[in-house]
Amino acid sequence: MTGQIKLATYFGISLIIGCGSTYAQQQVIGAPPEASNMRLVGANDLQARSAYQPTIHHQGDRWIAYIGHHGGTDDIPAPLNPLTGKAEPNGTSIVDVTDPAQPKYLRHIPGQEGKYEAGGAQMVRVCDGKALPKGDRNAVYMLRSFGSEAHEIWNVADPANPVLVTRIGDLKDTHKSWWECDTGIAFLVSGAPDWRTRRMTQVYDLSDPAHPVKIRDFGLPGQEPGSTGAVPTELHGPISTGPQGNRVYFGYGTNKGGFLQIVDREKLINGPKEPTPDNLRFPEIARMAMSAFNGAHTTFPMKQMPIAEFAHDKDGQTRDIVMIVDEAILNECSEPRQMVWFADVTVENRPMMISSFTVPESSGSFCERGGRFGSHSSNESMAPVYYEKMAFIAFFNAGVRALDIRDPYHPTEVGYFIPPITAATDKRCVTIDGKDRCKVAIQTNNVETDERGYIYIVDRANTGLHILELTGAARAVAGLPR
Amino acid sequence: MRRLLLSAFAVAICSLSGSAAFQPAGPVERWHEIAWPFPRDGWPAGRAFHCAGERCGDDVELYVRPKAGFCNCDGGVADDDEVDRVTDLDLMSERFVALEPGKAIRFAGMPGRLRDYDLRMSDGSRHAAVGMAVSRRCDLLVAVAHGAGAVSGIQRVALDFLASSDMARWMISAMDGR
Repeated sequence: MTGQIKLATYFGISLIIGCGSTYAQQQVIGAPPEASNMRLVGANDLQARSAYQPTIHHQGDRWIAYIGHHGGTDDIPAPLNPLTGKAEPNGTSIVDVTDPAQPKYLRHIPGQEGKYEAGGAQMVRVCDGKALPKGDRNAVYMLRSFGSEAHEIWNVADPANPVLVTRIGDLKDTHKSWWECDTGIAFLVSGAPDWRTRRMTQVYDLSDPAHPVKIRDFGLPGQEPGSTGAVPTELHGPISTGPQGNRVYFGYGTNKGGFLQIVDREKLINGPKEPTPDNLRFPEIARMAMSAFNGAHTTFPMKQMPIAEFAHDKDGQTRDIVMIVDEAILNECSEPRQMVWFADVTVENRPMMISSFTVPESSGSFCERGGRFGSHSSNESMAPVYYEKMAFIAFFNAGVRALDIRDPYHPTEVGYFIPPITAATDKRCVTIDGKDRCKVAIQTNNVETDERGYIYIVDRANTGLHILELTGAARAVAGLPR
Repeated sequence: MRRLLLSAFAVAICSLSGSAAFQPAGPVERWHEIAWPFPRDGWPAGRAFHCAGERCGDDVELYVRPKAGFCNCDGGVADDDEVDRVTDLDLMSERFVALEPGKAIRFAGMPGRLRDYDLRMSDGSRHAAVGMAVSRRCDLLVAVAHGAGAVSGIQRVALDFLASSDMARWMISAMDGR
């Protein structure tokens, strides 16, 4: 063989191997899902709308899924709603999931016009009127964001025919709010126009949803109106443990320079409200800085978890844990890995990271599949079926991951499900040499569970809703019958 | 022939190298690249430059780097609060005060905003600083210039420097991830 032929043969083989390794893991339409200990029960395409928060509500004898959406895409700014025959800007999907094998799309409530994060209605929380101190007992209230400019409350007692109750507007951004159904106190992620950050907290009394009462604005010192100097990283979202737990866990930063902030709920609601630096510090118990590489998207508290390994210790047998989920932002691993962290906050003024979880990249060549790879969010239901036993993490192109968290010092993956792409799945691009190079991959964005144990995952790249259940060994972790 | 090729290669490398001095916009202004002076943070280090000469006053330093994914994809750098938030002023000092409302700018074909600041350094001295942020889709490019001279002069030499063809080429390349 001459040198030239040897060279050509070498390059030919290299090219074949190179192409093979690059594209072997690319998803194709019609392929089966990739799964372990999780099974598909039912699905709905959600009218091919990019999805954010799902909230599953037991409503009379029905189970209704309320799903928030981002704005539309460059290609399809306002997808067609087949129920109305009209193109509608993405808003909120309402789906009857009483029979999870046959989910029935009931209604789409349009959101703010605008593409991607600039439009839609990403966030959804639901409270029964009979649970709220001053609510209409016959009503079911859905709190949602309206794009970046407002929060809205709808009466969804008849989920196919929602009625707008009230709107809180004139904001410059909104995001992942929290609403206590037993008190009506809401921690709304807003962008008050005069604050120096896009997202901060507005605490409202929504116990009578028709008459919202603002309690205060809240954020980190340096974000308040009139302040100068460095601006602390912006809020992503809070989770409250209500008056009994008396704590609110705030996550700041999304994929960079995150903070977990532990706040005394009573002092937050009833303390001095003028947004001065001292007043903003007053309810803060502790603030734990994360690496500059990671942010806090979800801060999910799990109090007094018994730790088997510590059972015979005379102190510290139970631990208060906060699961912190970062959000991956950039496509194709163009940033430090965003993942899941567990913090022991038992000694509140000395919180400490104790463990972490990520999906092994090599298990699916996820950096090459296209789109985002890394965590985004966890289920937020505190229903006994999974609470303090299992957590479900939306991991973008790695689908949903089921974790055994009974020992939060050593979280272990016990299942996963990566849906197949469909013709509706949107492309995700990176810039190479000044030009877009695009791939199509599943982008599992959010996950929620219901009291029955079903797991609902939704896709940011327009692939819709998948309803799952655990199988095999994963069912035993949750104590579910085989 | 071989020597000629090597010479051409050396010239090409020097013209691409950050250690090369940039052609001054004015007659007595010289920019030289220096090491990125800040510890690692959430974004990779960028490029840092020092300017000495009449037009730069005593001394001016300028730091510039991309921040991928840090921008509102649709709104871009929409207001002055965004400039306060995203530029790297806090790497030098967390204590800064804006001197006046900012203004719209464009460099390397990207739109954004600029704002002037009074920066209180850790040794108690005061510097004038100019924060600049421009965006392309969801990505930012930020630059900060500061020095002991007048803010108007710092702003002028910084913008001139960023408008140079070498810098424009590098900024576009950096935004492309190259």
